[in-house]
Order: sequence, then C-alpha cells, then structure tokens
Amino acid sequence: MLAAHLAPLPASLFSLLAIGSLLLSFVMLGSRWLRHYLFAFAAQSWLIAILSAAVGYYGNYSELYIVAILTAAFRGLLLPYLIFRIIHRLEVNREVHVILQASSSLVIGAFAVIFALAVSYRIGADLGLAGTIVVLALTVMLSMKLIGFLMLSVRHEAISHILGLLVLENGVFLGAQILVPGMPLLIEIVILFDLLIVVACFGVLVRYLLTHVGTTSSLQLNRLVG
Amino acid sequence: MTPRDIILQVCQVLATLLLAPLLQGVILQFEERVQRSQGPGVFQPYRDLWKLFHKQIVAPDTASWLYWTAPIVAFTTTLTVPILIPVLTNYPLPLSDMGDILGGGLILTLGSFMITLAGLDTRSAYGGIGSSRAVMVTILAEPTLILVFVGITLLAKAMLPFVVNHLLVAEPSIYWGPTHLFLVAAFFVLLLAETDRLPIHSSTHIEIYMIDEARILEYSGPMLAILKWASMMKQFILYTIFCNVLLFPWGLSYKGTALGVVGATAALLLKFLAVACVVVVVETVQSRLRFYRYQEPLAASFLLAILAIVSTQLT
Amino acid sequence: MGAIGPLTLAMTLAPAIAVALILLVPRARAAEAINLLASVISLLSIVCIVILAPNAKSLFWGGYVVVDGLGAWTILCAAIVYFLASVYAIGYMRLLGETDRLPNFYAMFAGFGLTTLVGPLMNNAGLYWIAIELTTLVSTFLVAFEREAESIEAAWKYIIVVSAGISLALLGTILFYWSGTFVLGPTYDMTWDALRQAGPQLNPALVTLSFLLVLIGFGTKVGLAPMHTWLPDAHSEGPAPVSALLSGALLNTAMVGIVRYLAVADAAGITVLARGTLLALGGFSLFVAALFIVRQTGIKRLMAYSSVEHMGVIALGFGFGGPFGIAGALYHMLNHSLNKSAMFFGAGSMMRAYGTKRIRSIRAVLLHYPVVGGFWLAGAVAITGAPPFALFLSELTIIRAGLARSEHFLVGLIAILLIVIFVGFLNHFRGMYFEDGHSEGKTMPPISAWCAAPMCLAIAPLFIMGLWWPQALWDHFLEIAGSLAPTGTPP
Repeated sequence: MLAAHLAPLPASLFSLLAIGSLLLSFVMLGSRWLRHYLFAFAAQSWLIAILSAAVGYYGNYSELYIVAILTAAFRGLLLPYLIFRIIHRLEVNREVHVILQASSSLVIGAFAVIFALAVSYRIGADLGLAGTIVVLALTVMLSMKLIGFLMLSVRHEAISHILGLLVLENGVFLGAQILVPGMPLLIEIVILFDLLIVVACFGVLVRYLLTHVGTTSSLQLNRLVG
Repeated sequence: MTPRDIILQVCQVLATLLLAPLLQGVILQFEERVQRSQGPGVFQPYRDLWKLFHKQIVAPDTASWLYWTAPIVAFTTTLTVPILIPVLTNYPLPLSDMGDILGGGLILTLGSFMITLAGLDTRSAYGGIGSSRAVMVTILAEPTLILVFVGITLLAKAMLPFVVNHLLVAEPSIYWGPTHLFLVAAFFVLLLAETDRLPIHSSTHIEIYMIDEARILEYSGPMLAILKWASMMKQFILYTIFCNVLLFPWGLSYKGTALGVVGATAALLLKFLAVACVVVVVETVQSRLRFYRYQEPLAASFLLAILAIVSTQLT
Repeated sequence: MGAIGPLTLAMTLAPAIAVALILLVPRARAAEAINLLASVISLLSIVCIVILAPNAKSLFWGGYVVVDGLGAWTILCAAIVYFLASVYAIGYMRLLGETDRLPNFYAMFAGFGLTTLVGPLMNNAGLYWIAIELTTLVSTFLVAFEREAESIEAAWKYIIVVSAGISLALLGTILFYWSGTFVLGPTYDMTWDALRQAGPQLNPALVTLSFLLVLIGFGTKVGLAPMHTWLPDAHSEGPAPVSALLSGALLNTAMVGIVRYLAVADAAGITVLARGTLLALGGFSLFVAALFIVRQTGIKRLMAYSSVEHMGVIALGFGFGGPFGIAGALYHMLNHSLNKSAMFFGAGSMMRAYGTKRIRSIRAVLLHYPVVGGFWLAGAVAITGAPPFALFLSELTIIRAGLARSEHFLVGLIAILLIVIFVGFLNHFRGMYFEDGHSEGKTMPPISAWCAAPMCLAIAPLFIMGLWWPQALWDHFLEIAGSLAPTGTPP
C-alpha cells in the first residue's frame, strides 16, 4: 500500500496538504461571511487537487493526474463560480441569525478532531499502521466529515448547507486520494460529475426557494411539523 | 556556576529591565507612523518613567496593604522570570532550573493577579470594570496557554525552554512541521491577548473603554511608574519567549563571551522589530470589535493548540 | 438463460427511451401513453426474468451488471409499483390542471422509474452508490413538482438530509474498498462477491466502522429512524403517484445495499454487532412510527409514517436473518409495495375529492365512495398487519425468525408496537369512515377509473396471497436466503 511505505519528503508534503485542508474547513466553520466560506472551499479544493497530483507522482499512478486536473477545474473553479452566482443572485451576504456562536463551533470542531483522532488511532493500531500517514489521512477524513455535519447543523442559510455538503464530499475525496489511490478511474470521475449535478440541482432548488417560499433561511422553513 | 555565568544571569535581568521601555516605545512609534502621525519617539517611555518617579504619590483613603504591595509583587515577578528563559544565552545559567515553562507562566500570572486584586481594592468603579474585564479575557486565555505549554512539552518531551530551543535549532523538519507551526500561531494570538493588542482593545484612553489600564487608574507617582515598568517588562518577556523559544531560536550566545552577548542583544532587538511590525500591522488592519467578540480569536487559538497536540500524536 | 440479457436490456431501455420520446414530443396525452407503455414493458420483462431463472446469477457488461435472486425480486416490486403508479398518474395528474407541465412530469417520472430499476442491478458497490445518489436527484424535482411553499420545503429537506446521509455511505464504501486493498491489492473490481470472498481476511475493526457508516448512510435513504426526518415531508408533499413510487420502490432499492453489505459483514465475522445495530434501528423505527401514527393529523403523513414502520419491519427481518427472516422480509417487500401504493392512491384520490389533507376533515367516505372507499378500508386493515391479508403472513414469519433466534424481548416489543400501530392507524380510519361528517347532501366529484383500478389491482393479490402463500414463492425465498447465508453456518 502506498501510504504505508512513504519516504519522509512525500509524507510531509501529504501531511502538510491534508492539515491545510483541515485548517481551511475550520476557517469555513468560523466565518460568518458567505464569501469567506466560498474562498476557503475553493482553496481547499485546490489543495486536494495538488494532493492528487502528488500522489500520482510518487505512486506512479498516471491516471491521478487526470483526476487532479478535473478536481481543480470542477471543484476548484466551476463549483465556486456556480455558487458565487447563486450568492450574487440571492443578495445574501452573511448569516444574520446565528444559531451557535462562531467561537463555540470552533471549540466543538476541535473536540470533533480529537474524537476522529481517537477512532483513527485505534484503527491504525489494529491494522499495524500506527505512525504512518494513514492515521493522519483517516483523522482528517473523519474530522472533515464531522465538521461538515456541524456546519449543516448550526448554519441556517441555504448556501451554507450546500457548502457543508461539499465539505463532506471533499473530506471523503481527500481520504480516498491518500488511502486508495488505485481506485478505478471510472468511479472517481463519475463521483466528480455527480457532484456537479448535485450543485446544479441545488441551484435550481434555491431559485424555487426564493420564488415560492420567499427566503433561503431554513429558520423560516417550519411549515411541515409532526 | 562560574562567576561569568552569574554575571550573564544578572545581565539577562538587566537587559529585560533596561530594554523593555525601548520595545514599548518602538511599538507605539510604529503605530503612530502607520497612522501617518509624527509619533512621540522611541525613547518616550523612558522619559515617562523618569517623569513619574519625580511626582508625588496621591493614595486614596480606602487603600489597604494590597494597594501598596501589588506593584512591588508585580515588579518582582517580572524580574524573576528572565532568570528562567533564554534571553541572551542558549544554555541554562545558574538558577534557571528554578522553574520550567509552566513555572514561568505561574509567576507571570501571579503578578497579573495581584494587579487585578489591586484594581478591586480601592473600591472605585473603574477599577472594578477593569478587573472584571481583564479576568474575562484571562479565563479563556489561561487554559489555552496551558494547552500551548502541553503542546510544547509533547513536541520536545521536556518542559524546559532550553530543550525546546535546542530541538528546533537542530531539526529543521520539526521546525517546519505542523505541530510547531500551529504552536506559533496559537502563541501569537495569546501574545496579542496578554499584551493588550487584541482587536477589542481600544487605542483611545477613555476610561469606559479600558480593559487592563483601568485597574491602575488609582496609582500615581513612583507606584504608577513601577506598574507601568512591570507591564512593559511582561511584554518584553512574552516576546522573548515567543522569539527565542519558538519562532527564531537562532541568534543566541553559545559560549557566553562578551562579544557573543552583545551580538545576542542586537539579534534580540532585530527579532523584536520583526515581531513588533507584524503585531502593529495586525492591530491596525483589523477594526475594533465589540468586547464580547473576544471569544473568537481566543477560540481560534484554542483550536490551533488542540490541532498542535493532535499533530504530535500523528507523527 | 440466454434470454435474461435481452430481457434486462428491454427492462432498462424502455423507461430510458420513454424519457427521450417524451422530451421530443411534449404533449400530455402522448406522454401519459408512452410512460404507461414503458412501465408495462418493464413489468413484463422482470416477471419473465423472475419466472425463467429465479435464482441464477448472471453477469453482463463485463461484470458490471448482475441479475441475481435478491436484485430481481426487488426490481419486481419496483416495476409493479411503477406500473400501478403510471396507471394512477394518468387519472390523478389530469386533476391538477397543469397540462403544459405534464410532459415534464412524465419525463421525470419515467426517469425516476428507471433509476429505481437500475440500482439493484449494479454489481460494483461504487456504481450502486452512484445509482442511489441519482435517484435522490431525480426524485427531488418530482417532490417539488407542485411548486407550493410546503413542497419546496419538503424537497429541500429531502435533498439535504439524504445527500448528507449518502455521503456517509460514500465514506463507508471507500473504507470497504480500502479494507479490501489489504487482501486484493491496490486496484480491484469492488463487486459484492469479491468483498464477500475476501471477508474472512478483512480487518474486523475497519469493517465494523465501514459497515456502521454504510448502515447509517443507506439507512437514511431507507428511512430508518432516527434518520427518517425527511420521509414524512417528502412522501406527503409530492403528488400521490410520486409518493407511491418513493415508498414502494425506492426504499426497497436502498435496502438491497444494506443487505448486500450485511453479507460482507457476516463473512468478516462481525455478525453480532452488524445484525444487532440493524435490529436496533428497525426496532427504533417501529417505535417512532408508532408514536407519530397515533397522533397524526395529515392523511399522507400517516401513510409516510406507516412506510417508516414497514421499513423497520423489513430491517428486522433481514437483521434476524436465516430462512424465516429473509423469506419474511422479501415477502414483506412485495406486500408493502402493493399495499402502500394502494393506500397512497386512495389518499391522493380522497385529498382531491375532499380538498383537504387533514384527517379530521375527511368524513363519511363510504357514503360518498362505496367502491373506492371499500378497497381503501381493506387496504388500511391490510397495512396494519391484520389477517386475511398477506402482510400478516410476512410479519408473522419475521416474528418466527426472531423467536428462532431466541430474541424474546425484542419480539415482545415488536408485537406490542405493531398492536399500538394497528389501533392508532385504524382509529383514524374509523373516524374517516364511521363518523358523521354532515355532508350527506354534498355532491362529491367522482373518482375516475384510472384512479380506482390500480387500487383494486393492488388489493386483490394481497387478499389472495394472504390466504395462500404459494409454495413456489417460498422455495424461491429459501434459495435467496441460502445465497445470503454466511457460508459454513447452518441457517
């Protein structure tokens, strides 16, 4: 397995990129301005694309270069542009009503990282891979998942929900690049396109929300109860 | 325990004592320059201290023994801590094993605690406001500081600042590793918090906006001079820990020769210049926030400390 | 055996071509007819497949498409619901009065039918995940079809909750793939069989984590509590044919994934934890459904919570395992699909006729609609698990499976909850049928034959199968149970 036998230089490069992505997801968690989320998400996608290319280079998986280019193009450029257009049309700039303070969500995110570390450490020890970059990859993957769910829970704007879902997908993608770089190319490309379709659907639905419900804040979506 | 080492130890304390106002002057001058005004000159704090030492003491009737002892305790603690940390040399000098990083933090906090009590002692309204606000910030900053110390300890497997310094100089991979970078970032935010440079601190000197300075409003004359000097020395010490232990561990004297010590002092001033520039830029770029948003930079610092500790487990 | 390939092709191509044709010829009547034709072709194809080669596993397209017993049975349930819903849709959608949007509806409807038929065919776990994700995307717009504020809200909750859950399932799939790389090398085809065969050598801790993630992820799609929060909204706000397809076809498709991963978990040796979690989720679904059914006020939400209940029962059946459990669960899939479609058809017709969604406002149904009302009442008695209908037999089989594994406490709990649901559900119907509504003189709009016929077509087999469980079906189920059983352990 590639991740188990890495030389120190690629190992530090991968860990730097992974931790950078984790830090960017915390930036997304702690900011109230939607534009900051978007830039952090775009930067995160670029980091993951660079990670793909690096894994392809060090592991001699030439198809990962294609994945890297597609990730940078779709997740790094096209998706942020689409979401930017949605933000622009919505004329919403930030979360006005805050369910949980930014500082508290940062602290809860920190505890989520500790929990993810505990789980990954256990699995790494069980597999005999403790001390390699595998534990880091698992930790970052699981904590980005938890942070994504935290973003989905404590934010009420539609855009924040979309970005939370994209963070979830980013986390899985990041882990997949390090842990299973040999996954068939077909699956990876289809997942990428699938994400594009998801965001397109969101765009249409957000337009419906605005026209028929009048707001994109989920605090107002409380007609269906029981 | 050679006589030269004892002299060097005394020089460390003297350096702190004499150069602290210079650091404060440089920071204030930069701030004024950035805002395109003339500025009072880098030696102004010296003139202020001189002026205060020649003024009369006016003490309130309600002052108790705490009022008189707090400035002395604060001054003494800030004189004690330079013994423990690498200011001029990178090898431990006599009596520097009196306390490790945690001990140094304890002593500094003791001084701050006494001043907070003194603010409450005279039963003035502004003293109460200042003390309560200062404690509010401290409640969040102290646990984070402890976590940063835990991170440093996990990184270097020892709590002595000298060990950390040697480790970071010897191994560039640890210097550029995620743990160290996170610790630097977390400590930087705490540095801002402890030296009154968070975006919530007001640059005007109106009493109702004061946080830390409101505690010492009742002091005058030499007592006020001692308190101001103590806070300047505390700033100097925190900058020393930040630069010499974490950020720029190079440039310290290896053998303790006179030339080495002079060079170390000059290097110290250069490092402080760099950090002061960054602090001033950060402070002037960010507009003032409401007081209750003090949680946000401190939560970010907490997060970075946790991430540093997590990184120590991952490598 | 050579006919299975062309039949599968016909079954999947028919809705696909229907979508294309409807988009090319955007006329309402033509769209209705094309959709109906596609559903008939699909239904006939899958019936032929099930009759011809009930349990042989055939691989097509280089191993990407598999037609085995479990998948074929699920597709059969889905195709039946697709056909019935297509018939019903013709009558129901005409009532909405939006003839210019009807072609879009039928195109999306055919597309939705296609995606539910395609899911169980996927041999590769990654492709299966993609198929499930596609079902969400297509059905969201069907749920939002009526463009009311409530519908949009329901569609938004649907897509957010289910996409979040499905991303958990993606994580689980990746972790399963990763656990396989230790045994099968860095690049391999992640087919269900490959994972099962590698099962004993997979690391138990990693498989535990992966299975739990997949269970929660696909469990969100199935509608197991506590991940069911999207289900009442989405199933109640969409048009009735869409609700029927969602309840009757889609939930089963997601269940197939859980069952296949459960087989891998059995092979990896974490049977106790895996089955225990599935049983816990199933039991909790029953509990939540019981609570919400008793105090329900909306007619379609009542049906939606009944779906939660029955998915819980199916989960319990698969969790118990063994021949009784699997046979009961599979039979329950078919019965639930038939019954739930009939209930949603009735609810949709009553909603249109009375002009309201509230149970309290629907009164004296038998007086106004003797035939349709009679079938609806029969369906209500059936869906709560009373004899002489088929759901009673399948639930009884599942309970027998539980007793065979000595889970007496859980079985007692299930029995009590089923009784509570029986009482609560039929209480609402008692109110609707036998309470005076002061509306004797009102003329109610007639229910068209397009809407009434599917209900009769659905209830009649339930009645027949409740009296006679065909031996052929029982043998078929036992073969499927054998193929799912962990090798080497007596069922």
